[in-house]
Amino acid sequence: MSLRDRLYQQGKNTRTLLFGLVGLLFIFTAIFYLLQRDREMPAYLVTNRVLLFVLWYVNVVLILAILFVLLRDLFKLFLERRHRILGSKLKTKLVATYVGLSLFPVLTLFVIATELLQGSIDRWFATPVRPVLEQGNAVAQALIDRVQGSCESAARRALADLGTVDLSREAERERLEDRLRAMLAENDLDFLAVYEGNDFVQGVVESRSGISDLPEPGSDLLGEAATEGRAVRTIEPPGGRGRLVLAAVSGGAAAAETEAGETGPAADPLASDVAEPKPRIVVAGSLLDPVLAERTERLIEAFQSYRQLEVQKEDLRASHLLIFLMVTLLILLASTWTGLYLARRVTVPILALAEGTRRISGGDLDHRVEVPADDELGVLVASFNGMTEELQRSNRALQTTNERLAEERALVAAVLENVAAGIVSIDGAGRIFTCNGAALQMLHQREDEVVGRTAAEAWSDPERSKLAALLASLPEPQTGRDRRSAREVQMVVGGDWKTFEVKVTPIRDAAGSRGRVLVLEDLTELIQAQQLAAWNEAARRVAHEIKNPLTPIRLGAERLLEKHRRGDPELGPAIEEAADIIVREVENLQGMVDEFSRYARMPRPRPAQLDLAKLIEETCHLYRDVKVGVPVVCVFGTEPLPAVWLDGEQIRRALINLIDNGVEATDPPGTVTVSVEVAEGHLEIHVADTGRGIPAESKDKLFLPYFSTKGRGTGMGLAIVHRIVTDHHGTLRVEDNRPTGSVFTIELPLG
Amino acid sequence: MRSRSALCCVLLFLLPGLLGSLARAQGQIRVLRATVEGDQVLVSFRLDGGIDRRLLERIDTGLPTQIVYELELARDRKRWYDQGLERNTLEITATYDAVARETNLHFRLGGELIESKTVRDRPALLDALRKIERVPVFRVQGLTPGVRYLVLARAILGSRMVLAIIPTDVRTDWAESNKFRPPATP
Repeated sequence: MSLRDRLYQQGKNTRTLLFGLVGLLFIFTAIFYLLQRDREMPAYLVTNRVLLFVLWYVNVVLILAILFVLLRDLFKLFLERRHRILGSKLKTKLVATYVGLSLFPVLTLFVIATELLQGSIDRWFATPVRPVLEQGNAVAQALIDRVQGSCESAARRALADLGTVDLSREAERERLEDRLRAMLAENDLDFLAVYEGNDFVQGVVESRSGISDLPEPGSDLLGEAATEGRAVRTIEPPGGRGRLVLAAVSGGAAAAETEAGETGPAADPLASDVAEPKPRIVVAGSLLDPVLAERTERLIEAFQSYRQLEVQKEDLRASHLLIFLMVTLLILLASTWTGLYLARRVTVPILALAEGTRRISGGDLDHRVEVPADDELGVLVASFNGMTEELQRSNRALQTTNERLAEERALVAAVLENVAAGIVSIDGAGRIFTCNGAALQMLHQREDEVVGRTAAEAWSDPERSKLAALLASLPEPQTGRDRRSAREVQMVVGGDWKTFEVKVTPIRDAAGSRGRVLVLEDLTELIQAQQLAAWNEAARRVAHEIKNPLTPIRLGAERLLEKHRRGDPELGPAIEEAADIIVREVENLQGMVDEFSRYARMPRPRPAQLDLAKLIEETCHLYRDVKVGVPVVCVFGTEPLPAVWLDGEQIRRALINLIDNGVEATDPPGTVTVSVEVAEGHLEIHVADTGRGIPAESKDKLFLPYFSTKGRGTGMGLAIVHRIVTDHHGTLRVEDNRPTGSVFTIELPLG
Repeated sequence: MRSRSALCCVLLFLLPGLLGSLARAQGQIRVLRATVEGDQVLVSFRLDGGIDRRLLERIDTGLPTQIVYELELARDRKRWYDQGLERNTLEITATYDAVARETNLHFRLGGELIESKTVRDRPALLDALRKIERVPVFRVQGLTPGVRYLVLARAILGSRMVLAIIPTDVRTDWAESNKFRPPATP
C-alpha cells in the first residue's frame, strides 16, 4: 500500500472512529436508560427468555467482532513481520501495548465486578426475608382455609337441614328463605344459597355486609361441587368490597352418582335432563373484611413475588452478567479498535520517516516525507524534510567541491608528474602514498614497487636503503624554518653514481601529523658542474698563484741576463739577490703544491666516540692569547653534550680554520664565540666573530678552493672545512652576525 | 503448536453439541398420532417426563410458564430425509393464581388463542400440559393425495443457563407420528 493510500485510509479511519465513538455513546446511553428502567420492570421481563437470548447473541457478536478486529490486525502484523516490512516490529510493539493496556484493566474490572455482582445477588436471597414471607403466606392461606372451612361446615349443616325438605313443593319453597335466613344468622354467614344443579332455588345475603346483590358462584363452582362433592372459591362480591369466600357442597342423587365414579359427558351432573334428578347444592359464603382481604392477598402475592425471584435467580444473574458482559465487550471493542487505530496512526508517520530514511540513505535526496500531522510527529517530519533539504544542499556543495578538488588534484598530479624534482608523499602510517614520475625515474623504480609500501620495504636494496635510513634518521621538524630538513645522499642507481638532495617536509593540520613529503633533487649534474666550475676557478687561481712567483723569477732572470750582457761588475751580488728570489718563490710554489696535495689527499673520516666539549675547549684554549683584545670564548648549554661519533682530528682542524679566520677578521676589541647547540637529531656548532663580516657576493664562493677575502693565504682553509663537514654528512653555512661579523654553523647529525 | 490448534478447532466444533446435550430435556413425546378428518390433520400425543420439579416450581411461583410444542408436517421419504413442508407451534401458557389457588391455562396454536381453562390441582395441570388430544394443526389442502406424510413433534420446556450465561432451550427429541395419506379431494 502506497503512502497516499495509507493517508487516505487514515482519513477514512478517522471518520470511522468518529462514527464509532458516536455510535458507542448512543449505545451506552441506551444501556444506561434501560438499566434505569430495569428497576421499574418486573423480574420476569428482565429474565425474559427472548431478552436473554438477544443479550447472549449481542455478546457473541461483540466477541466475534473483537476477535475479528484483533485477529485481522494480528494476522496482518504476522504477514508484515514475515515479509520483513519496515516498521512491522514497532507496529507489533505498539499494538501489543495498546491492546494489553486496554485488555488487562477491562478484564480485571470485569472479573472483580462480576464477583461483586454475584455476591450481591446471593446476598439478596441470604437475608431472612423468605421465612417472614413464608410465614405471612401461611397465615394468609390459613385464614382463607379457615374461612373456607367454616363456610363449608355451614354449607354442610344447611344441606343436612334441608335434606328432608322437598323443594318441589310450593309451601316448602316459600318457607325456605326464612330457614336460610335463620341459618345465615346462626352460622354468622354473609351469603347462603341453594341450587339444584345449575338452577338457583333460593338465596339470601346478610344485609349488613354491604353486598348489594346475590353473588353468582359460577357454573364451574357448582359443577365441581356436583362432581367432587365440594368446591371452594374466593370471588369479588357484587357491589361490595373485600373478598367473598364461597364453599359449595352437594348432596342427593347427583352427588351419589358422581361419587360412584362415572365420568364423561354422559355423567355430567349439571346437564339438564328431566329424567335425572338434579343434585342439591348449598353454597355458603363469608365476606372477608376488605382490609383483611387486601392484606391477605398482599401477603400471598409478596411471597409469590419472592419465590418468582428465587426461581429466576439464575436467569436474573445471567441477565445482569450478560448486560455487564455486553458493556465490557463494548468497551473492550472500542478500546481495542481505538488502540489499533492509534497504533496505525502513530506508525504511519514513523513508517513514512523510516521509508524516507531508507530512500535517503540509498541516495534519493529528492524524497520528501508527506504526512499531514500537526503534532510532534508533524514537527519531526518537518525537521526531517528540512534536514533532507540541508543534506541535499550540502551534497550539492560537496559534489561541486569534489569536482573542483578532483580538477585541482588532477592539476597537482600533472604538475607533480611534470616537475623535475622527485616528490614522494608518505602517510601517517609510514606508507608511501604517492610517488611522481620524476622520483620513479631518479630511483629507477616502478610505481607498484613503491606505492603502498613503507620506505624500508620500497627501498630495501643496499643503495636505496641509504634513502630509507636517511628518512628514518631525520628528525621530524616541528616549527618555523625547522619544518624542512635537507640532506644530500649519494648512491649508485642504475649503474650511475648519483647525488640527491633530500628535503623532508611534514604534512600537518589541526589534527596533527599526516605524514611527510620527500623532495628529491638530482644534484649529480649540478655538483658535477659546480665541481667543474670549482676546478676551473681552482685552475685559474692555481695558474694565478703560480704566475705570481714566476714574475719575480722572470724579472730576476732578465736582470741577471742584462747585467751579464753589459758586463756589469755588480753581476755577482745581482746573481745572489736573484737566486734568493728564485729560491723563495720556488719554495712558495712548493708550499702551494703541498697544500693542494693535502686537500686532494684528504682522508675519509674515521669516526670514534668523542667528547666534543673537551675538544672545543682545547681548541679554544689554543687561541686564548693569540690576539690581544679578541678573546675566544666557549659557550655550552646547561645540559651536558651527548657523546658523538666523529673524526676528532678532522673536526679539530675544521674548528681551528674557522677560529683562526674569526680571530684574524676581528679587530680589537672583539670576541670570537664558539657555542654548541643540540637540536632534535643533530647538533650545531656556531663560530661567531664580531669582525668585518663577509660581503654577500663572496658567500657563494667562500667554500671553493683558493678563494680568499684576506688577500693572503692559500684560500684552502674554508674549502677544507667544507670538505670535512660534508664527509661527516653535515652541512656548513655562513650567516651575518648581529650587529657585525659572521657566524659559521656546522650542523652534524647525531647517531 | 499445530496439534494445539487442532485441539482448539475440535473443541470449538464440539462446543455447540456439548451445550445442546446439556440442555437436552429428559422427557419424550410418545404416542404421536396424526389423523385426517375432513380438511384437517388432527394431532394427539403425550409428553412423558420433562415437566420436572424446576418447571413445576416455576409454575407455582405464579410466573407465566410456557411449554411450546413444535410440530412439523413432513413428506415421508423412504431413502432420504423427510421433506419438511409446514411448521406450527402449540403454546401452553400456565399462570398460577396463588390467591385463588388455581392455574389458568391458555392454548395458542400458531399464536392464536384456541382455548383457555382453569385447573385447580396438580394432576389436572399435568394432564393439561402433557396430553394433547386431537388438535387440528395442519390443513390437508395442498397436500398430494396418496402421498405419505407424517407429523414430527418436539417440546420446548423453557430455557436453562449453561455455564451461567449461555441461555439454551430445553428441548425433547423429535418424535415421529404414524404415516398417513390424505384422501383424494372429491
